[in-house]
Amino acid sequence: MAMVNMLSIALRTVAKSAAILSVSAMAFTTVASAQQHGKQQFGNAQGVATAIQDAATGKTRTVLGERYIPNIWVDPDGCEHWVMDDGVEGYMTPHTNRQGIPVCRRGNVCGVMNSDQFFSTNSHHISRSGQQHLMNFFRSSKASAYIIAGHTDSRASDEYNMRLSYNRATTVANIARSAGARVADVRGYGERMPIASNKSQVGMSKNRRVEIICVR
Amino acid sequence: MKLVKITLAIAAVTALAACEGQIGADKGIDRGTDTKDLSQLVAGIWVDPNGCDHWIIDDGVEGYLSARLDKYGKPVCSGAAPANVATGNFKGGATSIIGDIL
Repeated sequence: MAMVNMLSIALRTVAKSAAILSVSAMAFTTVASAQQHGKQQFGNAQGVATAIQDAATGKTRTVLGERYIPNIWVDPDGCEHWVMDDGVEGYMTPHTNRQGIPVCRRGNVCGVMNSDQFFSTNSHHISRSGQQHLMNFFRSSKASAYIIAGHTDSRASDEYNMRLSYNRATTVANIARSAGARVADVRGYGERMPIASNKSQVGMSKNRRVEIICVR
Repeated sequence: MKLVKITLAIAAVTALAACEGQIGADKGIDRGTDTKDLSQLVAGIWVDPNGCDHWIIDDGVEGYLSARLDKYGKPVCSGAAPANVATGNFKGGATSIIGDIL
């Protein structure tokens, strides 16, 4: 990390002196600086063409650009956003990974129902005592809305599991609504979002769940 | 004529370089009157025409808007307010000197 910071400072110094001298092109050929550019994917000072070594292809290409290094703003949900202020304009966009999943410092899952305790195998019906338990949960929770997402283990077909997990989530959502709660969304993810390995009995049991996300 | 153009182009690039020297590459600091760190911004919620939430911040001169996403990366449509309504204390970042223009 310290190494990356030092490189970053070194690059900024280079960028500044280049801007003063109006040098129109720079070539970074060392592996370390190529990684720096490959990782951050920023250009250099405005009007300065920078030759960068593409991390994926190893070929050198020239980019005309200006360095825009963002800060991180954490929203009330605990998730990060890239934020920049270049003098008059402000810019902001969610910080997600390359799969589109937000980078968050904490989660907003306020309840994980282990399906084994509420549903019998292949069923989406909940016993009367289970319903009462959920009614109490939704009545005592202070959230303004809920997102309910069902999940299964990897046994049976993907299609079947998508349907089963959605039906289970719907059952929970109906109980939430009857308790006076606002349901923002109901989803079934089937076996596609495991939180544990499906190779063990314990892992499969963990994957059989209904997640309740509290929106505040 | 060609030489004049080139000279002008160099002058323009130098002028831009001078601006760059003042603002710098680090865009993570508020350039307004208080130069606070941008991580301190206070947000409200704006509900888009589809009913989904966005974080909205009015920092005096700059405005910020960014999608509210759940852990699966889907938009959060909480119903906190009707569509096209901004709610919450999101103008808290404005300074007394500039304040909120609109």
